[in-house]
Amino acid sequence: MIPSFVHSFQSEWLKKKRSAAVWLVMIGGFFIPAIMLIARFNDFNNLATHNGSPQVWEMLYKKCWQFMGLFLLPMGVIMATSLITQIEFRNNTWKQVHATPQKLTNIFFSKLLVILTMMMQFFILFNLGIYLTGIIPALLFKKIPFPNQSITLMFLIKQNLPYFISCLPVIGFQYLIGLQFKNFLVSIGAGLGLLVAALIAIPWKFGYIIPYVYSAYTFLASNGVSNPLANIQVWAIGYFILFIVVGYILYINRREKG
Amino acid sequence: MYCLYTNNLTHRFSGNEMALSKVNLQVPDGSIYGFLGPNGAGKTTTLRLVLGLLQKQEGIIEIFGKSFQRNRIEILKKVGSLIETPSLYGQLTAVENLTVWQSIYQCPKQRINEVLGLVDLNNTGKKKASQFSLGMKQRLSIAVALLNSPSLLILDEPTNGLDPNGIIEMRGLLRKLNEEQGITVLVSSHLLSEIEKLVTHVGIINKGKLLFQGTLNELVSKQQQSSALFFDTNENNRALQILNDHNFPAHTAKDKIVLPVLSRQTIARINQQLVENGIEVYEITVVKNDLESIFVDLVNH
Repeated sequence: MIPSFVHSFQSEWLKKKRSAAVWLVMIGGFFIPAIMLIARFNDFNNLATHNGSPQVWEMLYKKCWQFMGLFLLPMGVIMATSLITQIEFRNNTWKQVHATPQKLTNIFFSKLLVILTMMMQFFILFNLGIYLTGIIPALLFKKIPFPNQSITLMFLIKQNLPYFISCLPVIGFQYLIGLQFKNFLVSIGAGLGLLVAALIAIPWKFGYIIPYVYSAYTFLASNGVSNPLANIQVWAIGYFILFIVVGYILYINRREKG
Repeated sequence: MYCLYTNNLTHRFSGNEMALSKVNLQVPDGSIYGFLGPNGAGKTTTLRLVLGLLQKQEGIIEIFGKSFQRNRIEILKKVGSLIETPSLYGQLTAVENLTVWQSIYQCPKQRINEVLGLVDLNNTGKKKASQFSLGMKQRLSIAVALLNSPSLLILDEPTNGLDPNGIIEMRGLLRKLNEEQGITVLVSSHLLSEIEKLVTHVGIINKGKLLFQGTLNELVSKQQQSSALFFDTNENNRALQILNDHNFPAHTAKDKIVLPVLSRQTIARINQQLVENGIEVYEITVVKNDLESIFVDLVNH
């Protein structure tokens, strides 16, 4: 079981080479940090003070997540997941995939693992981008000090893990519908619709029932505004498991496999 | 021993539309089996069922003597396929496309160059599959089907998009694979002329029903049986009586007297006898049905 899953994963990993999803992850990871770097240079007079602050990384992470967490992160996840599931539909390759000696379970979960790994890649690039935002000014200008705060593993986990968990239901739902519908617009349309609904529902006390709202709630929680009625991480993981189970059942019971 | 065997394979699409009705496909081991039928006859549906791409509703599918349903993975390890249009990742090169499948089959990496050589695509370099011509895509798809050194090759209309030279090369390749490596080939087509020079066995399907199945020689003998001699006279009934009196197996059809094909001398003798009996003979025609006519005849009746 395990060796064949590894082979399925290797195959799935190769398929995404040069795909739009890969470019989205690369560009998406550096997009906000790049803008943040420009903004920092624009505020050049305060650069030395900011880098000298013992909370410099917290400040940079907060500013970057402000733009990323509310809209761009779930939007990017919607796009990337839909693009990965579209690879087979667009290239008319489902029939070839299903005529190979692979268990359907392996196909389903290896594709999902590719998406999750790409998400991790995105987080790594995003963190690298933020790090560069902090040190590039110091590398370029002698009078600007290097950031006066060390980055610990715990700090990175605290900054990233809640956002990663908040994306899981979006990945789960987009994966579910992405595998069911050939038309890319169905997947993107449903995702955008749910995201808009989530943004509208942010102030609603029962907003936590909408699975696309958690990254916005994570950002608000990092600013001390949390929904007292629910543990959003438990809800996010619950929704993810639900969507993956439903998606798996629908996938293996599909009458036409390409 | 049949490499592929189906028993009473029946399939209905949604809306209860009958796609296949009790199809008993028998593809002998080591044969090149031509699966013929017009567009929409049920060829692709049969092949998709055989590969598990459609959920089986009724009937039995056995490949290599084993139930497909119970031994799907084991069977697919030894089957190569190309169903309808090419299945290629447009953003990848030919080598990368094959590497995707090589990871699954876990065949040696040098097999990629071997199959690319077989389909004459080993010089495509960094060109992406989306930039290939339809013929090149079709050949690359065949390379994918051959990658795992299959024992059974299932090809659905593999010559689509190929130029005449490509079609000839494809026939040569399939024959070579069959003769040298003993690969059983099941190839579908809607044109008998396209595969009659290649196949050893033929199955003809139309409207979801298998109308003929047997060796190519059996189809040829059917052709000879269906060739006929036609006499057009002014008194067919009397002419028929005369011919029957002389023990000729004649009958009438479409206002003409029909006989099996006879020698030129016999035809002359019959004509002489009819004329001597006062019958005017307007026309004597020999209709030799070619295989294509047999195919059309089977499909239309």
